Amino acid sequence: MYLRFNLVVGGLLTALVILGGVFAPWLTSRDPIMDADLMNAEIPPGAEFWFGTDTQGRDIFTRVLYGARVSLTVGVVSQGINSLIGLMLGISAGYWGGWWDDFVNGLTNVMLAIPSLIFALAVMAILGPGLSSLLIALGLTNWSWTCRIARSSTLSLKSLGYVQAAQTVGYGDIRIMASQLLPNMVGPILVMATLGIGSAVLSEAALSFLGLGIHPPTPSWGNMLTDARELIMIAPWATIFPGLAIFLTVLGFNLLGDGLRDVLDPHMRTRKV
Amino acid sequence: MLRFTIRRLLQMIPTVIVVALLIFVIFSVVPGSFAASLIADGRADADPALLARLNREFGLDKPLYERFAQYLYDIARFDLGTSFRTRQPVVDLIEARIWASLKLAVAAMAFAAAFGVPLGFIAALRPGSLLDTSTMIGAVSGLSMPQFWLGLLLMYVFALQLGWLPSFGYGDGGLLHLILPAITLGLTPLALLARTTRAGVLDVLNADFIRTAHSKGMSNARVVRWHVARNALVLIVTTVGLQFGSLMGQAVVIEKLFSWPGIGSLLVDSVAVRDIPTVQGTILVIVLWFLCINTLIDLVYAAIDPRIKQG
Amino acid sequence: MLRALMLTGLLAAGTTAGALAQTPQRGGTLNFTAPYGTSFSTLDVHATPSVQDDIFASAIHRSLYRWDAARNEPVLELATEVNVSADGTVFTYKLRPNAVFHHGKPLTADDVIWTYQRVANPANAFPGARYLANIKGVAEYADGKATTISGLRKIDDHTLEITFVGPVNPGFTLMRGTLAIYPSDIGGTPEFATKPVGLGPFRFVEHVPGSQAVVERFDRYYKEGRPYLDRINLVIMGDASARDVAFRNREIDVSILGPAQYQAYLADPALKEHVLEVAEVFTRNIGFNLSYKPFTDRRVRQAINHAINSPLIIQRLARNKAYPATSWLPLSAPPFDKDAVPYAYDPAKARTLLAEAGYANGFEFEVNATPNESWGVPIVEAIIPMLAQVGIKVRPRPVESAVHAELVTKGEFQAYIWSNATGPDPLSALQCFYSKTPRTACNYTGFNNPEFDKLFEAAQAERDPAKQTDLLRQANNLIQQEAPVWFFNYNKAVMAYQPWLHGLQPNATEMALQNYEDLWIDSTAPASRR
Repeated sequence: MYLRFNLVVGGLLTALVILGGVFAPWLTSRDPIMDADLMNAEIPPGAEFWFGTDTQGRDIFTRVLYGARVSLTVGVVSQGINSLIGLMLGISAGYWGGWWDDFVNGLTNVMLAIPSLIFALAVMAILGPGLSSLLIALGLTNWSWTCRIARSSTLSLKSLGYVQAAQTVGYGDIRIMASQLLPNMVGPILVMATLGIGSAVLSEAALSFLGLGIHPPTPSWGNMLTDARELIMIAPWATIFPGLAIFLTVLGFNLLGDGLRDVLDPHMRTRKV
Repeated sequence: MLRFTIRRLLQMIPTVIVVALLIFVIFSVVPGSFAASLIADGRADADPALLARLNREFGLDKPLYERFAQYLYDIARFDLGTSFRTRQPVVDLIEARIWASLKLAVAAMAFAAAFGVPLGFIAALRPGSLLDTSTMIGAVSGLSMPQFWLGLLLMYVFALQLGWLPSFGYGDGGLLHLILPAITLGLTPLALLARTTRAGVLDVLNADFIRTAHSKGMSNARVVRWHVARNALVLIVTTVGLQFGSLMGQAVVIEKLFSWPGIGSLLVDSVAVRDIPTVQGTILVIVLWFLCINTLIDLVYAAIDPRIKQG
Repeated sequence: MLRALMLTGLLAAGTTAGALAQTPQRGGTLNFTAPYGTSFSTLDVHATPSVQDDIFASAIHRSLYRWDAARNEPVLELATEVNVSADGTVFTYKLRPNAVFHHGKPLTADDVIWTYQRVANPANAFPGARYLANIKGVAEYADGKATTISGLRKIDDHTLEITFVGPVNPGFTLMRGTLAIYPSDIGGTPEFATKPVGLGPFRFVEHVPGSQAVVERFDRYYKEGRPYLDRINLVIMGDASARDVAFRNREIDVSILGPAQYQAYLADPALKEHVLEVAEVFTRNIGFNLSYKPFTDRRVRQAINHAINSPLIIQRLARNKAYPATSWLPLSAPPFDKDAVPYAYDPAKARTLLAEAGYANGFEFEVNATPNESWGVPIVEAIIPMLAQVGIKVRPRPVESAVHAELVTKGEFQAYIWSNATGPDPLSALQCFYSKTPRTACNYTGFNNPEFDKLFEAAQAERDPAKQTDLLRQANNLIQQEAPVWFFNYNKAVMAYQPWLHGLQPNATEMALQNYEDLWIDSTAPASRR
């Protein structure tokens, strides 16, 4: 019962967010950046502005919808980069072993030792604020777990004889890695990626709070929260709705990830519960 | 055991060196400079002579490899350099603020363990029940919450509206000021601990030897007390330790939000003004802390379960 | 309108002064706040240009001159009188005979000379060195060609002669907190950095990094009967919302208000009576890179000034915590032209000007901006729709504070938004538009106008204050016409204070810097303060 609850609720929330972001221009007639009239600043939620307005006079509902695009982009792309790096390094480390394996292990240790937020901060400081910098920074940060899983999966598949069999038939290394090993670990990697999307969205919020994430006027839930912080006594709705959006999105991905994991392998245990 | 300990300690060293190199390289290429941050608020005009003199004083005009070699040499002597901003040794700066961070981390961990473990435990004893489901949903929610949104909301309700707790700062170091930051920081470990405890307890409850003990006729309560607790404890302690190790890094946002004078806020402020020695020193300390805790956990684990040492 | 604003400001100050007519009471503890950061970066005020550190330093140190908020000019502090030579370059100071450092050593001319040599020493790279640049011999000393500063001469223990390179008013530079006079016997020792000693009304007690600094009354202060307070806790509180809560809880006695709190406090009957306002000497502006093609035409720059509804932005985003800017110099500057009219909000006129200049279809530009809420990205966000109306597409280019100044001084920008100090010395403020001033110094826009140069050079050479003010007024008006920047606003500094605190001064150079010796608290203060 619990299992299905995860998948269903997680799936629903995630779908809601994706649809909201994709269909934003149809769900609202206002522009998130240009429709700013200072005369409309800080109006509480009501008939005209469902979530109220912010300090520039922009409709918060519109910005939350368009902000979904930013957050989803950040989440999916950075997770994609993470998974790519993790898979490449992990599979190759397990496959070839030797000094390459030692090197990858050492690198993974180093990346695990540096707190991800701090590393992302440092990279953002170099690249400057903005969406592409954020994608690179987050993409470079969290690949370690994927790498570990890919590596241990590769090692166990090796011990089961998959690799030897394919080598006997005459497959090349890359072909083996791509066609024999990769498909067998899609499950766990998918779970990690889904959970990672939620974590990336949270990181974007944290980095924006520290001044290094997406900068206005592009709406991102993180920078909307940061802007609203000063106004918390005057206009609490400016804080509540973006935060709620982040919460529900991350919750959705987390539940979905949990559900996927329970479906794919109920006995799977990773250190990162 | 001793050989294992030494091996693990030695393994830390290359990691530390690589981290130091990585941080050093990153902050050598970062745009902006300390001199620029001095005039950022527009109160003083730019003075090119001052900029040149500052660069000379900070040794920023020497080539990169020379600076890195000097840096490694200094670290080996436990000299973390001199802060650009205060012209004091970085070690002093960190020393003055590390206790606040430790206090926060310990308080957050205590909160997380005090509530997370019992919750997970109870949930595991009645799997599938309403209590179990709601606890686990609560746990996932805790993991999904943006930390500083939670902090803001808590601050708004308990400090600004109800006025029960102070909303910022260290105060006189008393308990009241610690509560909100500790709860905000501790929520994620709490959720994680609840899930881990539940998983661990469930695992053990389903294990064979419990059924054996049952069949021998031991009472239910005895079974729980003796076997479950001891085995799940290992898992819990490991998780507590791991979380503790990474809390320092996670505390950065919380410290900034609540104006908590720890090394997380020191790090953020130093990055903002490009006080490179302080940045490098703080990151090194945070990483060292993490590595030491991890190594400690490995040693404890190995002591409890000798099979680990082979690995 | 401006006149009314100015009068309101002065009236507010006057009301406070009126309240001062009560007799000051001795004793008590003050919880003052240092609002500009999360720490004091150093206790050695020579080493830092930061106002935050000055808030601490001004309690325990004194400089040769001091800013008099009531007279709006620098006055002698450590000297009782000064004689100026006929050509205006040689100043002979008679130092206070009864001035004593906290460790007992009396003030002598040696201390002043030692202090200035320490600050100007090239090996130290101190920010205050530039303020000594107009003393004769400092240039050679800074280049290492001389071991002493020739323009500083001790006549006797209490008489000091300073020779300047030209006729100046030295008060503007020598009043700086970063030029505080240190004792020559212990000023250079390592302990001094953690236990500073000075000539001020309070002596150093302790410093808790990141939290606060504590000072207590110095009984041998040279002003009889001062200071009134026993003790001051200088509490570091960089966050405006944190200060708001602490102030409402009566935990701190003063709070510099940000725009959001300003609005709230004025609306609160319990708080609005105890709010001190002053027009500070900072001009917020968007500077145009005069080499970027559209900005080479004056009509384009004027059009932008007409296209933006500054009063609305001030009313909404700045929540009326600013005065609309007319030109470069702020309201309190003597050359400020009270009859000048700021650029009116006139999109139609803007479009006409743009069409005349050949930009009927508009153009694009980027504004380098930091996250600052008063002069950063939020302001640029607000002008996006306004400029779009006249066909100009503007985008903020977000940069970190530590990068902003670097990009501006290197000229790597199309436009930037900043808050620049434009006082208290109007001559040095307008020097930023003198063509011989390099971009790396403060001519960020790259302004070059021969007519302005003539006016400025004449003002520099003019020794009659009234004539100099008139020349500067003309120069300031020329700047308005030429519009090298978008004139946004002058800062309105606002400080809320508890009803039991008296003696605050409306300091136009920086509200957070107060003369602590004039502050006192009355018997209505809570028990924790007595």
